[in-house]
Amino acid sequence: MGRLRRSRTHKAQRDVHRAGRTRARTKDLDQIQLIDLDPKNRVKLEAQPLDFEKPGLAQHYCVECAKYCESDAALQSHRKSKVHKRRFRALKEPAYTIEESERAAGLGKEGKRPTTVLVEQDLAMA
Amino acid sequence: MRIEKCYFCSKSVYPGHGSAFVRNDAKVFRFCTSKCHKNFKMKRNPRKVRWTKAFRKAAGKEMTIVRIDVSFATVNPSQLLVCLQDSTIDFEKRRNVPVRYDRDLVQTTIKAMKRIAEIKQRREHAFWKNRMVASREKLRAHRKKTAAKNTSVQLVEPITGQPSRELIKEKIKLSSKSRSALIPGEGRSMGMDLD
Repeated sequence: MGRLRRSRTHKAQRDVHRAGRTRARTKDLDQIQLIDLDPKNRVKLEAQPLDFEKPGLAQHYCVECAKYCESDAALQSHRKSKVHKRRFRALKEPAYTIEESERAAGLGKEGKRPTTVLVEQDLAMA
Repeated sequence: MRIEKCYFCSKSVYPGHGSAFVRNDAKVFRFCTSKCHKNFKMKRNPRKVRWTKAFRKAAGKEMTIVRIDVSFATVNPSQLLVCLQDSTIDFEKRRNVPVRYDRDLVQTTIKAMKRIAEIKQRREHAFWKNRMVASREKLRAHRKKTAAKNTSVQLVEPITGQPSRELIKEKIKLSSKSRSALIPGEGRSMGMDLD
């Protein structure tokens, strides 16, 4: 067989191990997509009360990237950046969840209506 | 006892095997091997990694639960096959309420499991065969295309007769000044001076 993977899969992500520590963990895509991007939550996240622990007193937050910026100018330039655009694109498609992994394994849920529904239509209608 | 599914590759994780990661929102991610755990830490999307179950399902390489409106005028046999396969896929379920032990129920369930596994295997084989028919045609077309594009044998015409013009050597005159740039200046040599 030929090459299975496309080229340019390395995205110049440096220091993966440091970023992957549990204490440095950021929100996962499914958390952002299913919870944070909801308009109600989004408004709340974008107008947070002053927090002296967070960068920029938690006043400049990018919801898509789950990231605090120091200033409004920094936030604006971040929104124009490649990192943000990449994240934005990744959030467009449905995020992978535990439920999907179970569905892929062929594990159904109890109490759900059966998926085997053969819809029989009238031949006259079709 | 519960057999969990690996978050990354969707393999079964038996008690005492694998590892788990609990996210700060109390979601439990199970992993069958360190390989899956590492891939998770790298924040890879299992849907884009070829060896996972999620990829195979998403790319249409395995039977999946597909909901289609079957109007018999438009359905083709392969689609109908997919639609009918649901019953065997749906058999395995996460049950949150334990079922009271009943000897007869266990016996019938075990029998049914064997039978369903048999049916599932046959349907999977049929699905695979159907898939391979399409891929074989694709491969054939691809081979034809590449064979036409790059023929390995290239015919080269042999050179006949003498080359028309001989190479003439020309002497280029150099002025004595530009002969060498490495002339030691003012009587000093390049070597080390010794007292």
